[in-house]
Amino acid sequence: MADEKDDTRELMKTASGKRLTQILTEDYLNVHRKASEGAFVVWVAIVVPVELFKGFDNVVFAVPESHAALSAAKGVGMLQCEKAEHSGYSMDICSYARIDIGTMMSGGKDSPTFGLPRPHLLVSDNNNCSLLVKWFDIYHREWDVPHFILDVPFCYEMQKETDLRYIVTQFKDLIKTIETLSGQKFNIDQAKEALKNSSEAAKQYKRFIDCAVHRPSGITAFDSFVQMAPLLTSRGRPEVAEHFRLLADETEERIKNSQFPVPNEKYRLLWDSIAPWHQLRKMSTRLAGLDANIIAASYTSCLGGIEGSYEFIQEYREGDPLESLARIQNFSVCPYGMDLRFKAMSWAASHYGIDGFVFASNRSCKVYSVMQMDLQKWITEDLGIPSIMIDVDHADVRKYNEESAFLRIEALLESIDAGRARAKI
Amino acid sequence: MFDMVESVKRAKGKGTKVIGCFPLYPPLELIHSFGLLPVVLWDMKEGVGILKESDRHLQSFTCSVARRLMEFVISEEGSLLDGLMMYNACDTLRNMPEIINRGLKEKGRTLPLLKLHVPMVSPNQTNATGYLADRIREMIAEIESTFGVRFSLERFLASVRLYNKIRKLCQEMEDLVAAGKMSYMDFSRRIRNGYFIVPEDQLSELENALKEAQSGSTKNIPDGKKIIVSGILPPPDALCAVIEQSGMKVAGNDVSSQARSYGYIPKETDDPAAYYADFYRNHYPCTTILYSSDDRLKALNALIEKRGARGLIIVGEKFCEYEYLEMPFIIKMLEQKNITTLQLEIATDDDDNVEALRTRIEAFSELIR
Ligand code: SF4
Ligand code: SF4
Repeated sequence: MADEKDDTRELMKTASGKRLTQILTEDYLNVHRKASEGAFVVWVAIVVPVELFKGFDNVVFAVPESHAALSAAKGVGMLQCEKAEHSGYSMDICSYARIDIGTMMSGGKDSPTFGLPRPHLLVSDNNNCSLLVKWFDIYHREWDVPHFILDVPFCYEMQKETDLRYIVTQFKDLIKTIETLSGQKFNIDQAKEALKNSSEAAKQYKRFIDCAVHRPSGITAFDSFVQMAPLLTSRGRPEVAEHFRLLADETEERIKNSQFPVPNEKYRLLWDSIAPWHQLRKMSTRLAGLDANIIAASYTSCLGGIEGSYEFIQEYREGDPLESLARIQNFSVCPYGMDLRFKAMSWAASHYGIDGFVFASNRSCKVYSVMQMDLQKWITEDLGIPSIMIDVDHADVRKYNEESAFLRIEALLESIDAGRARAKI
Repeated sequence: MFDMVESVKRAKGKGTKVIGCFPLYPPLELIHSFGLLPVVLWDMKEGVGILKESDRHLQSFTCSVARRLMEFVISEEGSLLDGLMMYNACDTLRNMPEIINRGLKEKGRTLPLLKLHVPMVSPNQTNATGYLADRIREMIAEIESTFGVRFSLERFLASVRLYNKIRKLCQEMEDLVAAGKMSYMDFSRRIRNGYFIVPEDQLSELENALKEAQSGSTKNIPDGKKIIVSGILPPPDALCAVIEQSGMKVAGNDVSSQARSYGYIPKETDDPAAYYADFYRNHYPCTTILYSSDDRLKALNALIEKRGARGLIIVGEKFCEYEYLEMPFIIKMLEQKNITTLQLEIATDDDDNVEALRTRIEAFSELIR
């Protein structure tokens, strides 16, 4: 049975790790402090354009999904899940939702951040997933807090102009809702500034994850998972852009100095799922022992790209920030259909020189997982790159079996070896 | 015994093109008005016996609705379909169009797949009427070009009237179940069959069933403690039997394929945009219509009161997070009003494991006062 410990400890010891801790700690403390001083608190789904909130002087936001991920990485995921299950929430519900519900039901007890301050408004976004709308509905009903649902047409192809207009209308209504509820006025210039900072942060993050192109890779995907947190919880702050700039500089410097996470890297793998938060250290260490490195993940590599493009294509300089934010609603991999995900992963395979794919089938996350059987077949057949599928729940350690996962991973490495041997003949 | 596949074959034999629709509340009237036959692909246990094809495409944690849908479309029977039509609903279904396409491709087949985005915003939050109207216009143009048919205002109005009549008769039939003149199992069977026959025939079958039940020619159902059932699909027949054997009577339902489908009768108009704005905005509350679920508790309370029920069984479709996430709050609120509740998690087309639930159902029945 897999155990649960603080899985971020090792990764946080580096200079960039310490800076990251500082940003996140500051942010969680800030949100608690400002809330206690009367700020208007919004809880959001990760793809909600938080830059809009920066257009208000005294609006703070918290991201329950990130809090759930942090809880899982800090080893309290299972504990919080069990609290939710005892209150009648099925074990088949996404573990992020169960962690968050468990945390909130116990008033923040056992949370690494003392929970989150009570919201005045909930903003969900079905582009993430529709489950999240239902999850936020629980607080909406239990606490009688308004719930604003952003409805984003699913992205099977390039975004249509009519859909973009529809999303912009909703952003305008969201701004009006906050103005009415908080009594504050929206300042578009502040939102523009925040969007510039977010855009720069995404660009620098992209530089960082591109350190995986080097052989051996300068990073592991696990680093990219941990480092993505401020892109979700702290977007819009200039410090985040600066942090990623320094992070990319430091990582490039380490490559120059021949410092690599897996120095004898023989196998370069790509991960298709959300991070296995409870396994960050264990999985990366065990993989390194096999000279294998999961160097990239569809979850993080496509941040900043849109609709299947891995390249950074959305850079905000000027113009209507609402339009720009609507356009980048499809900026992360979760909202992709299979065709776009195939496109993104094929590009990644050649860009990063991938030897094998690990499809992590995650029963918690239907949006991510229900398609992987076909995607796996398609990728393996079209690209001729071997792959495996393992069962992992991203935040509930009870639904992960390390031995059976590694049995398959080792089989994947063997099949990569066999392919190489065949190529030599 | 009704055979859904045979029924669809019969319609097809008359030259009607068949459009498989998913999920629960597609624009049936619109499709029908073009002379096409819309078939909602759910509750298909009768027509889809074993799942072999779908297991190659969907993980085991996918709900039975999606698995049977997949199985039907890509299996031999799926060749009966001339097209597919879907609108946005849950996280599982949003992946289905591309999975279906891959499955069909493997079989050397293709099917036109039309997609509609139904706005999921609350009308109090954003006015999405214009957006929906554009989508409906696009859908009309797409149906015309895909199937070589022409839209007609008169035919649309006629289809609206037909489907509204069906909804009304379903409501009357539910009243007969509550009055003990028809068993819930019989009612469920008739509603289910209706999804796979041409609506004109469904109308006359419902009329006949109503006449028969009203005349008292069907035997009266033994009285029992009145309960309501809720879920995506009705409880399987074996579960209905256990409910009755445990001394209870299903007096009303809050089931997606039943009351949630026929519960609201939209205003009759020949303007499809106005019709569907009303249809979706005022839809009977359902977990899958995101903005409507705030009204679920109110609707359930009204139903419980109307039927004089003392208990509620929520038959949670296994792996349906939409349903799971709403259950605890609903249960808590109803129990505060002394309504006894029972929450089950089963694949609702799974008759085989029902016996394992007997003790829980019997215990539940004893708790109802
Ligand atoms: S993990 Fe998946 S199901 Fe859970 S909140 Fe995120 S996108 Fe939704
Ligand atoms: S039963 Fe639930 S999970 Fe399954 S298709 Fe319907 S809404 Fe989706």
